[in-house]
Amino acid sequence: MKRRLLAVFAHPDDESFICGGTLAKYAQSGVEITLVSATRGEMGRRMGNPPYVNRETMPAVREKELRQACAALGIHRLIFLDIRDKTVEFIDPESLTERIAALIKEVDPDVVLTFHEQLGGHPDHCAIGKAATAAFHRTSQKGSLYFITFGDAMAYPEQFGYTQNDVVKIDIRHQLEAKLAAFRAHRCQTEIDAWVWEPDHQALAKFGRYEYFLVGSSAAPQLVCDDLFPSTGA
Amino acid sequence: MQTINKSDVVAVIQNFTAQDVYIHSEATSFVFVRNFRAHLTDCRIAGEGPYRVGMRFDGHGWLRMEGLTHYEVDADGRLLLAGYDDEGRMHVALELGKEPFPE
Repeated sequence: MKRRLLAVFAHPDDESFICGGTLAKYAQSGVEITLVSATRGEMGRRMGNPPYVNRETMPAVREKELRQACAALGIHRLIFLDIRDKTVEFIDPESLTERIAALIKEVDPDVVLTFHEQLGGHPDHCAIGKAATAAFHRTSQKGSLYFITFGDAMAYPEQFGYTQNDVVKIDIRHQLEAKLAAFRAHRCQTEIDAWVWEPDHQALAKFGRYEYFLVGSSAAPQLVCDDLFPSTGA
Repeated sequence: MQTINKSDVVAVIQNFTAQDVYIHSEATSFVFVRNFRAHLTDCRIAGEGPYRVGMRFDGHGWLRMEGLTHYEVDADGRLLLAGYDDEGRMHVALELGKEPFPE
């Protein structure tokens, strides 16, 4: 049976920078991935280096670059919520939750990924994570909810009050090329980071070998710590 | 966007004064105002680069920005002014349009 993953994030590039390796990995194994981006990142301050974007061209540029990143990662469907960047936390939470709940019902995912509402690190991240979490519980569907986390922070979850049992660690060593391609697709955001544009072997060496996810809610007990789709088996 | 040429910007600004305009103004990371509508009484650019712009509106209001380095009159005839650093990051923006900007 076709496995499905729904990712609900805030900005173009969240999917690549935070969990691009994992998305590529599941896409390669046949999982159908839908990405929701609340905004088009239209208020970003990185304009390319040298700058080739301005405030008014930014939404179209970032949408185009996100579509290229989706192609690199194998994400097959992209949905925008058309909320302006930096205003997600000011959107009526009820209507936002309801919009995401409708998407969950439509996509019927086995796995939902979003931001943790406190550990998201940016007000837009926390707001979309809170709404997506509420929507997940409202739909009370069969799947599992996980929160994306940054870098290697959750290699030691105790510092955040979690245990290793709350963490899923995904090996992405075979998806680093796809992740790098996605980073480079987000050109206006990554040109400022010289390492991204170094020769491939040097740039690839900068990536961690794992991406970490916090278990949010699981219909089935979490039996394995290295797979987001535990109930369907490897 | 191109590096500000003061006399060019002065000429463009003339097209926006003595009328209602829509303003997008931001100090990136701190504040933005989008589609603030005002009757622009006067607007001047000062400095030798980076530049400062001061606007008088509605007979009693001020908007002042500094750190502006680049400008463009886009295909919709809007004046886009921005301040970029040497790594392409935008710090400030000041934009004038005769119609509302996309929300």
